Amino acid sequence: MSAGTVLAPHLSHPTRERPPTARKPRRAGIGLRAQHHLQLLEKRPPVEWLEVHSENYFGRDSAHRRVLEKIRAHYSLSLHGVGLSLGSTDPLRLEHLGELAELVRELEPTFVSEHLSWSCIDGRFTNDLLPLPYTEEALQHMVARVGQVQEFLKRQILIENVSSYLRYTCPQVPEWEFLAALVHYSGCGILLDVNNLYVSAMNHGFDACTYLARIQVSAVQEFHLAGHVSNRIGQHLIRIDSHGAHVSEAVWNLYRAAIRQFGARPALIEWDTAIPPLEVLIAEAEKADRVAEGLHAVAA
Amino acid sequence: MLSLRELQRHFGAALFDSAPEAIMPWICGDGLDVESRLLIYRNNLRQGFLKALALEFPVIQRLVGKDYFHQLALAFQANHPSRSGNLHHIGQQFPQFLVTLLGGTRYNYLSDVAALEWAYLVSMGGAEATPLDPSVLLKFSPDTFSELRFTFHPACQLVRSAYPVLRIWQVNQSEAAEAEIIDLDSGSDQILVRRGADEVELHRIPRGDFALLTALANEATLGAAFDAACGADPRFNVGEALCRAVGLGVLTQPRVSQRALS
Repeated sequence: MSAGTVLAPHLSHPTRERPPTARKPRRAGIGLRAQHHLQLLEKRPPVEWLEVHSENYFGRDSAHRRVLEKIRAHYSLSLHGVGLSLGSTDPLRLEHLGELAELVRELEPTFVSEHLSWSCIDGRFTNDLLPLPYTEEALQHMVARVGQVQEFLKRQILIENVSSYLRYTCPQVPEWEFLAALVHYSGCGILLDVNNLYVSAMNHGFDACTYLARIQVSAVQEFHLAGHVSNRIGQHLIRIDSHGAHVSEAVWNLYRAAIRQFGARPALIEWDTAIPPLEVLIAEAEKADRVAEGLHAVAA
Repeated sequence: MLSLRELQRHFGAALFDSAPEAIMPWICGDGLDVESRLLIYRNNLRQGFLKALALEFPVIQRLVGKDYFHQLALAFQANHPSRSGNLHHIGQQFPQFLVTLLGGTRYNYLSDVAALEWAYLVSMGGAEATPLDPSVLLKFSPDTFSELRFTFHPACQLVRSAYPVLRIWQVNQSEAAEAEIIDLDSGSDQILVRRGADEVELHRIPRGDFALLTALANEATLGAAFDAACGADPRFNVGEALCRAVGLGVLTQPRVSQRALS
């Protein structure tokens, strides 16, 4: 595939912009996990917004859903999907999409997001975020799927870059070019996961700053920040996205570079394994705010 | 050029069927052997499944220990891979899997404990429904009562065991709880799992009530359910049992079969 004929990374015109229903947060938020439901409802700590995994709240009358509705009365919320498997060549699960649409209608989230990945084949689900080959065929597939979802939900979705641990041998373009083309052709926005970008850049030896420079500024609407681990396999060091630790210093630095490139955007602290007390998550979000404010002060 | 679908099938074979040969030529080594790269994803697949299953069946994990639970989860995953983008569905077949694996052994009771844990999750996620208002029954002529059928509340579940599973479940709710020796022959349980205002509740109910509700849940008429209940408990009192069931909100809309109306 010739990259130039398919992908148009440098766009002078903005893509379709649909304003979100809720006001966009200015401060960093945290990923909400069930362990913290009650504490959040009882203490109502000053976090400006929360993000949840959409699938955890499927089922209109489920106990978790009831709690989330109560929480929504006090906090802005974003829905982050992990199970739609947009990149899979299996048919899109309309039941899954229907559940998501119901959740979107009820909760009026600030953002709805999914991943640049696939996770099922012939009905078997890995429930993991597997990398796509960045080919013309995969681009057409993703553009169609994102379009289908946006049409169904009647709103824009954000697509998040994932951490990856391998590259395919087939002729392909860099991830940033694929993502920029997906934005161009589908009208989706970008959820830039700074940790995932760092992990993939280190694992595959590309320059994360080139990535930042080549995706559309107006498309980037949210940042994710999380921890990762470094594993040694023989002589080879490989970074693994763990969502189980503090944000590393290298990722904070890349976050600073991202803010310089895109300006401040709502940032979110994700923590999914060995989930710490709520206070730790909030302190990490406050650190993200300080990083952003520090840059602002320098810029002023 | 490999199609996207073929590439995903080859990748799937490497992850699910330990057959990496077809995908290997399509993955760059980049200074590492391709198997090691695939192994990262195989580990993710296993660990993700294990973690989700352990969240669904914490009591089973506590009873058998983490190491054996890990083995159980891998064996279960090999036969019952996730079929949904929602990990909350993965454990549905786990109680039956334990029956197949452990039936006839002294660990037979584990499948009943697993069934109780699954019923708890189903109740947590079940749809809402308006419980039966007993005054509605006045609309039906008494001679059609035995032909009545009821819709069972979607958040109510029934679990029966020859073992004292409710006690086992209760004393294993927390890692910190004191160990307690429970005699597996100390009694059977008939349990109704329902969702209350704030949390899921587990009620031990009489043998006759359990037979009645099981029949009604399977869409039997009230007459047939009554016969089943009397078979389970000769002193069964249908009035009292229905009062208990209505009080717990187990039944919703009544309907009468066409035969009774004609």
